[in-house]
Amino acid sequence: MLNYNSPIDNQVEINDLSIKEVSPIMKLNLRGKKREFLTAAGKHLDMILPTEANTSSSSSKLTSMWLSPDEWMVVSNELIEKDTNEYDLEENLYNSISKTNLGAVVDVSDQFVMLELKGSKIYELFSSGSPFNFNDFKEKKGSTTQTLLNNIDVIIHNKGENLVNLFVRRSFSQHLFSWINDSASRL
Amino acid sequence: MFVINCPYCGERDQQEFKAGGEAHIERPKQPTELSDDEWAEYLFMRKNIKGIQFERWNHAHGCRKWFNMVRDTSNDEIKLIYKMGERPPSE
Repeated sequence: MLNYNSPIDNQVEINDLSIKEVSPIMKLNLRGKKREFLTAAGKHLDMILPTEANTSSSSSKLTSMWLSPDEWMVVSNELIEKDTNEYDLEENLYNSISKTNLGAVVDVSDQFVMLELKGSKIYELFSSGSPFNFNDFKEKKGSTTQTLLNNIDVIIHNKGENLVNLFVRRSFSQHLFSWINDSASRL
Repeated sequence: MFVINCPYCGERDQQEFKAGGEAHIERPKQPTELSDDEWAEYLFMRKNIKGIQFERWNHAHGCRKWFNMVRDTSNDEIKLIYKMGERPPSE
C-alpha cells in the first residue's frame, strides 16, 4: 500500500474496550451470479464463497464475507506487504472473472478501513448506535452483517468471543472513530 | 419504527431500508406513440391510496437488493414480501 496515511492514528482503550486500525489488509469485492463465477472464485480463493446470508467462511489466509446474494468481500487474515499496491490473488481473479465477463472483481483495500474491536463491551457499544439485533450475531462465530452504526454504513464480522472486525468507508472512518471514542467512554 | 423482513438478509430495522414507490408499473412498450398526457400518466401518476398498496423497497444499508412489499398504508402492517420479478398476489 503506497503512501498510505492512516485516518486513525491512535489506539483507544476505554472501559474494557480496545479499538485500533489494522492495516494494510487486502480487501477485494467480488460480484457475480453465474455458476461459473462461483467455481472460478472458489478455485482461486481455495474456498467456497458462503451462500448463506450473513455468514462468512475462512481459510488459513483469507476470509470471505457474504454481503448480498451476488456480492462478497474477501479480506486477507494477515497483514500484507506495505510497499506494493498489487496482489497476485487480485490479478488472478481479475483475469479469470472480470476479463471473461463472469462477474466483477474490485480492489477495495484503500476504500475500506478495518477496525479491530476487542473486549467484553463490544455489543453494548454497537447497541448504542445500531438498529441491528445482535443477539444471534454475537453467539455465532463468523457471522457477518451490513448495517448502520451511528448512521454510517458498516460491515461487521464476528471473529470470535469478544473480537470483532469492523469495516467502514475511509471517508467516514474518522467520524465513526470519534463517535466510538465518545460512546465507549459512557458505557 | 417497524421491522422489515428482507427476503435476503432476514429481519432488519426499517431504518436500513428506503421506499421506492409503487410497484408493478410497466414502462410503455412504444413511448414514442404516447400522447403527452399518457406519458405523464405513466411517469408521474401514482395511486397513493389509504389501504393495501403494492410497493417497491430497497435494503439500502444492507444487501442493497430491491424487493416488493404489500403494505397497509393506514396502519403500516406488512401483508407480504416477495422478490423482484415474482408475480404479485391477487389479493
